[in-house]
Amino acid sequence: MGNLLEHMGIEKDRVHFSWISSAEATKFVDVVKEISDKVKALGPNKKFVKDYS
Amino acid sequence: MSDNEIKIVSFLCNWCSYGAADLAGVSRMEYPADIRVIRIPCTGRMSPKFVLSAFREGADAVWVSG
Amino acid sequence: MPLKYVINPDVCLKLQKDKCGTCADVCPANAIDYTQTEETITLNAGSIVFSPGFKPFDPSRFDNYQYANYPNVVTSMEFERLLSASGPTHGHVMTMPKLPMKPKKKADKALAEKRKDPKKIAWFQCVGSRDMNKCDNAYCSSVCCMYAVKEAIIAKEHDPELEPYIFFMDMRTPGKEFEKYYQNAKEKHGINFVRARVHSVTEDRDTHDLNIRYADEMGQIVDDSFDMVVLSVGLEIPQETRDMAEKLGIDITDHGFCKTDSFEPVTSSRDGVYVSGVFNNPKDIPESVLDASAAASAAGDFLADVRGTMTKAEEKIEETNVIGDPPKIGVFVCDCGSNIAGVVDCPSLTEYAKELPYVEFATETLYACAQDTQDKMVETIKEKGLNRIVVAACTPKTHEPLFQESMVNAGLNKYLFEMTNIRNHNSWVHKNNPEIATEKAKDLVRMAVAKAALAQPLAEEKINVNDTVMVVGGGLAGLTAAKSLATQGYDTHIVEKKDVLGGEALKLYKTAQGEDVGEKMAALVADIEANEKITVHTNTTLEGVEGFVGNFKSKLVSGGNETELEHGVAVLATGAKCSEPTEYCFGDDDRIIKTLDLDKMLKEQDAKLDSVKTAVFIQCVGSREPNRPYCSRVCCTHSIDNAIELKKRNPETDVFILYRDIRTYGERELLYKEARELGVIFIRYEVDRKPEVKVEKDAVKITLIDHVLNQPVEIEADLLTLAAAIEPRKDERLANFFKVPLNDEGFFVEKHAKLGPAEFATDGVFVAGSGHYPKPVNEAATQGRAAASRALTLLAKKDSLFTSGTIATVDQEKCSQCGVCVSICPYNAPGFAADGRFAGTAEINPVLCKGCGLCVASCRSGALHLRGFDTNQIFSQIFALGEVV
Repeated sequence: MGNLLEHMGIEKDRVHFSWISSAEATKFVDVVKEISDKVKALGPNKKFVKDYS
Repeated sequence: MSDNEIKIVSFLCNWCSYGAADLAGVSRMEYPADIRVIRIPCTGRMSPKFVLSAFREGADAVWVSG
Repeated sequence: MPLKYVINPDVCLKLQKDKCGTCADVCPANAIDYTQTEETITLNAGSIVFSPGFKPFDPSRFDNYQYANYPNVVTSMEFERLLSASGPTHGHVMTMPKLPMKPKKKADKALAEKRKDPKKIAWFQCVGSRDMNKCDNAYCSSVCCMYAVKEAIIAKEHDPELEPYIFFMDMRTPGKEFEKYYQNAKEKHGINFVRARVHSVTEDRDTHDLNIRYADEMGQIVDDSFDMVVLSVGLEIPQETRDMAEKLGIDITDHGFCKTDSFEPVTSSRDGVYVSGVFNNPKDIPESVLDASAAASAAGDFLADVRGTMTKAEEKIEETNVIGDPPKIGVFVCDCGSNIAGVVDCPSLTEYAKELPYVEFATETLYACAQDTQDKMVETIKEKGLNRIVVAACTPKTHEPLFQESMVNAGLNKYLFEMTNIRNHNSWVHKNNPEIATEKAKDLVRMAVAKAALAQPLAEEKINVNDTVMVVGGGLAGLTAAKSLATQGYDTHIVEKKDVLGGEALKLYKTAQGEDVGEKMAALVADIEANEKITVHTNTTLEGVEGFVGNFKSKLVSGGNETELEHGVAVLATGAKCSEPTEYCFGDDDRIIKTLDLDKMLKEQDAKLDSVKTAVFIQCVGSREPNRPYCSRVCCTHSIDNAIELKKRNPETDVFILYRDIRTYGERELLYKEARELGVIFIRYEVDRKPEVKVEKDAVKITLIDHVLNQPVEIEADLLTLAAAIEPRKDERLANFFKVPLNDEGFFVEKHAKLGPAEFATDGVFVAGSGHYPKPVNEAATQGRAAASRALTLLAKKDSLFTSGTIATVDQEKCSQCGVCVSICPYNAPGFAADGRFAGTAEINPVLCKGCGLCVASCRSGALHLRGFDTNQIFSQIFALGEVV
């Protein structure tokens, strides 16, 4: 999936998969922060977005 | 929309990550407000269509978590 | 008692001095009522279940560990809180945890500056257990070895540089999967285990590090220093529980635990009073859960005659048909007091919701879950003719059923409801960003409204339950389960492959409490045979099973005759057996026997026993070895029991027990103590230096290295008893029949190791006895009752058992018959329709479907739909997000 999207021009860091058990609140927060940081570094996604105008 | 504001469409498994997100709340942890949660019964429910559609609708990232 | 705040009247200013009253002023729900007083309520009960629990041992009375004075000596309970993600440090381990996190006092502040991340932590085992010198708790608390190993592993995972040391006497990990956990702790996690009882702890005045002193196994004095010491405190029965037991008129032991019979392990000395948990001997979580289920079964047996005599029928409300009607959505925004409203701008969120498509009505509520709000919700639905409801509040995982109940009360299908989480996922985690949180809440509400607009009423199909029970295995566990089920009025069939009932228990001499097993089993079998509700099938094997919960069909074969049994639930109690030793010259000489052979000799009062001058027992024969990595749990107590018996028959007999760790958990420890007092000699051996056995004409010669003297010791015995491992039957065929799993060693795997110990993940199938894990008489009886109790819970719901509404369905017109769903489903829910217009296409068995959606995602033809989480509903949420971008 990641490869396909990358092929289409969507950066790898824009798609994340993870496994967190319902007891791992700390891990949940860590993953959110990690993803958020990576995506912020990339900036907003402009590719592939449907143009409503 | 400013560059700082991003949207991460998050598909969370009802039994695992959704519960972890609940617990994070109960524990009063803090994290960035970029995620928008869609509750799914299990990650088995996920389909590539959802990921593509999220990007099409302007998501900056997609997160699938079991 | 609901989980709510209460006022402590001893310190409340309002109640004491009629001052203050602030809480009543600030409580937005007007829940404070100062006029409430203590009331005495009389309840008429037919049975009582008494589960008062325990108190952790208070180590302040031990002056050698200085718990009360040293900031770095903590109890295991305190350490548990340190490791917890919701604990005071959010799971970060630091020294001096007993001080406040942000100290106010000057002295505390100075101490807190010396806080650090500990690099070396010591656990001291048996604090307040197995100790007659400093306290009177001679028993073993059963749980501390495991929790100490667990705490050490978690702490080490948290900080890989940490050096954990566990100081212990015997490592007691006899539970299911526990021995492997202990071995992994040693080999993979690098936890250090030291066999020693630490003599004293002193503190470095400057750093507050702790210096400890102990004698190692060779008797050498060792000094070491640690950043932190954790006292593994035992479980104790407090005085108030003893008083309560006296009031209830039930007998307790010297240590305050309830006295129970091994064959009726949850029944107190008084009829109608049943016990469970640590009060009924120290135990861990799965055993407490088993006890609780067993107590429920026993309490129910006692009341079987009056069952269902005081019930009231619920009033049924007709469901309004909304199919075809345009959505009229009602949105309820919950303030949750200030939990949500304190962060999110709820009034503007409500205004925003009103403008969303299909929203007919939106309102803000103080507490959406309060009873008066619920009543109002029902009223509003009726008044405004709403047909979809969205609640923006907390988590659906806890509150969805409550709101769905209100939906039903208002005549709406409960699946026309959608909940969105603006508390746990929003206000609580973004409390410093109210504006962003409000924006996020709007997004979440918009997504929920979009999804709700597409919600359809879903049907829950009634499951027909056949209330006949099949018990596989006529041993103690199976018989106990059958007896309880039959007593409560259910037709029960026992399938036993042998020609007699009783199983392995028939080979036992006495229980650890001294009851004659033969006599008790004979009485139980007589009860079973006299019970009209029970049909016994001896010499019978199970040759096939079809169906699912409520509707099983089993093929029974006896002497070539085949019969079919229809039943709704099954209890698998197939037991275990004694293994054949392959070492210690077993089989070469008739003086070398297994534990069960010795039981037989004791039972028959064999004259050969009179001539025994030296008897030796070797423990762990075939257990705790690479090819059988589990502990057989019962052997230590069994051998010690038999050693005591030999000593009592003839005090002149020399008796030796060669062991690796003595695992007499709970009050079984008292037997270990008694054996030592009677002069039984215990010699420990290491697994890599096992005893050597040589058969000679006059005697069986046993040589081993003594762990204290580090010298070889030679014993000439005329009776050598091997504590051979208990082996599961590893019945893969049976496991396959019911689609239940076996673990690596061949024991059945229960639904949940802690919370579901007497049932399988497969609905309607239950487990009891040694097929689950080796267990002594009382534990087999407990699990038998627990399995019966779980089965009864299901059978009692016979008329109200429905499938879930959120399951997969097939659009058979679109199905291409590819079979992917059939092969991919972990629950075997999809199959091919056998006949009709759509023969050959997929169909879903609603009873087996768990609603995971795996098949829906895998369907290439788009023929499968997941009700409640359908593709268009998920798309609608994605689109709703896209609208504002």
